[in-house]
Amino acid sequence: MTRFIRVELLKLWTTRLPFGLLGASSLLTALITVLKATRAGENRRVAIPPLYSAQGLKDVITSTDFAMIMALVFGVIIATSEFRHMTATSTYLGQPIRSRVLVAKAVASAIGGAVFGAVASALTIGIALAFVSGKGYSIALGGGTIAHYGLGAVLACAILAVAGVAVGTLIRGQVGAIVTVFAWGFIIESIIGGLYNSAQPYLPYTAARTLAGFTLNGGTSPMSFLATTAYVVAIALALLFISARTTLRRDIA
Amino acid sequence: MAAIEVRGLTKHFGPILAVDHLSFDVEQGSITGFLGPNGAGKTTTLRMLLGLVHADEGTATFGGERYVDLASPLHRVGAVLEAANFYPGRTARNHLRIQALAGAIAPGRVDEVLGLVGLRSDANRRVSGYSLGMRQRLGIATALLGEPEVLVLDEPANGLDPEGVRWLRDLLRSLANKGRTVLISSHILAEVAQTVDRVVILDRGRLVAHSSLDELTSTAHRVVRVRTSRAEELGAALATDSVRVKPFGPEWIEVTGATSEQIGMTAAQLGIPIFESRSEDANLEDVFLKLTETQGKGAQR
Repeated sequence: MTRFIRVELLKLWTTRLPFGLLGASSLLTALITVLKATRAGENRRVAIPPLYSAQGLKDVITSTDFAMIMALVFGVIIATSEFRHMTATSTYLGQPIRSRVLVAKAVASAIGGAVFGAVASALTIGIALAFVSGKGYSIALGGGTIAHYGLGAVLACAILAVAGVAVGTLIRGQVGAIVTVFAWGFIIESIIGGLYNSAQPYLPYTAARTLAGFTLNGGTSPMSFLATTAYVVAIALALLFISARTTLRRDIA
Repeated sequence: MAAIEVRGLTKHFGPILAVDHLSFDVEQGSITGFLGPNGAGKTTTLRMLLGLVHADEGTATFGGERYVDLASPLHRVGAVLEAANFYPGRTARNHLRIQALAGAIAPGRVDEVLGLVGLRSDANRRVSGYSLGMRQRLGIATALLGEPEVLVLDEPANGLDPEGVRWLRDLLRSLANKGRTVLISSHILAEVAQTVDRVVILDRGRLVAHSSLDELTSTAHRVVRVRTSRAEELGAALATDSVRVKPFGPEWIEVTGATSEQIGMTAAQLGIPIFESRSEDANLEDVFLKLTETQGKGAQR
């Protein structure tokens, strides 16, 4: 199994797309973080408390949303590019047991997704602390809390990338699968979460975001960090299982 | 035991019967042409053989084992299925490195096969910049990576220039001389006629012939082309159940199933002058077309 995980990692390493996605994710995360840090404490329509407050610092440090959606897209692309470029034939000739390929892709995407999360966390934490230091404020959050948000973003990105592989296996068309994850993350969950605050913590993409410190409409999540992690992992694995039992078996024509 | 055994292989795509209870063997160390017109079911059969398409019925095995059950598939079977199955942004060398890792093949083999197919100088170029012929060569390099006992090649000459076709022919012959088994599909019989030992001919998903080349050509009739001023009259006199006559230009008829002597005797009896007569051996192409044509007419009825 390790060999096939290495195969999937080598595939990622030998193409430009993952690096392009990571670059785009990092650039936008940095941009959003700088904008938030600049505007923290200003009295605007969407107000961000000052950086010397715990809430203000948290709002800036947890600007890892874009990395999460990009990790999801990254997972989708890992799965769908095999069909888009008809490389599934070579892949399944090398490893005819398709479920092993799926598991290898899931593990490789989790590793790649974790990199998205780690880079985004490093950027948001670095930029936030640079602004705090530049303004001469003391750091309002403890080291453990900051590490918790950073680790949460890494975990969320890794799990979302695995979910992306499952979605990309279920919906083989790359554009269709990307549109689906964007529509789910940005539209469907926003509408459901907006209408039913009590359901919001259980919406998969939102639940993943809470790992990195996303604040729910109704305040804190009723699930602990560990319970939320287990919940989103279970959803990603369920999606993988469904894809393994359905579309994965389709003919490679 | 045959290197490849296909037994009762059947596949439907919706209401369309793509492969219909197909059975044949490919002998070890032989080059077998897998022939048929476009849409005959060749690619579907090869994909079922390789576990990429699921058969509705029947089995396809390599030395008694299904492809999915092979312990080291890339060491046992090398396949070229599509000219386009490469990630366009990846270099040829990296494509081969990935396949080598997947097949637990020594990395040094990558440069060996690149040299074998003449792509070493282009190995670090992205595949998106490759011509169709270069992609075919890369496909063949991929198939040869694991030094497999059996090669399954789907239209590997597509996109190759005449020099490339000759190179492929020589390569396949040298592999067969080393005891490797090759199953090569094509819709152009002339392309493989000089290479193959045996042929499996498929039409509309059904087996129409499975024999050696010599056996196949021996079943063919000679064709005699005759020029006369009374072509229609001579044609009518010659045509029987076993002799086919068809017009071939204004003063020509083409006669299949009768010798030049028989035609001359008939013409002499009727006082029909013969200006010119040419006798030709039927080639494999004619047999192929006749077999697939006959089946086509049968299917239409």
